[in-house]
Amino acid sequence: MTPLYAILIGVAMGALIQRVGASSPRVILQNLRLENLSIIKFMATTIAIGMIVSYVVDAAVPGVMHWDVKPTYVLGVALGGLIFGVGFALGGYCPGTCVVGLGEGRKDAVVAIVGGIVGALVFTLVYTMILDPLIKPMDLGKVRIQDYVALPPIAIALVLGGGMLALMRALPTNPGRGSDA
Amino acid sequence: MTTAAAMRNQPIATAPSGSALPPWALLGLLFGLVGAASILLWGPIGVSGTYPRVIGALFRLFDGSVAEANPYLVKMGALLKPETYLVIGLPIGGFLATKLGRAPKAPACEMVHAMERTTGTRYRDAFIGGFLIVFGARLAGGCTSGHIISGIMQMSISGLIFGAAVFASGIFTAKSLRKGA
Repeated sequence: MTPLYAILIGVAMGALIQRVGASSPRVILQNLRLENLSIIKFMATTIAIGMIVSYVVDAAVPGVMHWDVKPTYVLGVALGGLIFGVGFALGGYCPGTCVVGLGEGRKDAVVAIVGGIVGALVFTLVYTMILDPLIKPMDLGKVRIQDYVALPPIAIALVLGGGMLALMRALPTNPGRGSDA
Repeated sequence: MTTAAAMRNQPIATAPSGSALPPWALLGLLFGLVGAASILLWGPIGVSGTYPRVIGALFRLFDGSVAEANPYLVKMGALLKPETYLVIGLPIGGFLATKLGRAPKAPACEMVHAMERTTGTRYRDAFIGGFLIVFGARLAGGCTSGHIISGIMQMSISGLIFGAAVFASGIFTAKSLRKGA
């Protein structure tokens, strides 16, 4: 059943990304220029709700969640994020939103996907060269906040998620335009 | 999609009438539930790993020994993974949301920077942007979905580092480039 669930989750994600405007490079650039915070607030809300629901379910039914935490190799993760940010601001797409854009009939999204496939090919070819300088050093492993904070994970999730939701509620959606919609 | 139908004719970033929640909050709430459902069903959502898996599948189509000789393609494994099905769902969701939501047709090509005067220069930026997001995401081990949404949702340190790096460099780059139309 997993393939069916995964397709349905992808369809739901694609529809939500389209509805909120995250597959529009114009809207992404408005957000990165901090003129319109709708996508930033959407992402923070997604993270906060997902965090609270996941950890509540985990506390209610221990062992039921399929956690899969990515390793924290500080250099590669940080450098990859910095490179990603430049591409995000240049093209206005991320690896998922350009695939949603394809479904909407956006041609520049198709070009971004082709760029992404070439980027993946180049990464594949240089992987063994960057393994030692960027991926192996400073690897903290699959660490989470609860590995450093001596509180039950559900307590951290409620405080952090609740704080994010309160902050998003307080922030204006269109800074400078006096609207809090 | 009931969500798309419910959001019918709602312009982006303005509060729907009769709803207490602005679109970013309602759509973020739904996306958060989808993200938690994914962890419950099989594992956290992700997208960018699919790009190198497509490369691996293409190599295997012609000469399997190339894929078997590349450590990164071996590490990423075969294409038949839940994540691949999720990526197949993304454009379907984008397409359905556009149709069911009766949204105005998405522009085939959206200019976002002053330097994008022709479709050719826009495609150039989309290609370089697409290249950098996937290269950066593979270096970091995840993208907006895997690191920022799923990662921070699970309270992972790698997601927090990647998210901070993406927005620092994305905001800096967006503010450095002159605004387009």
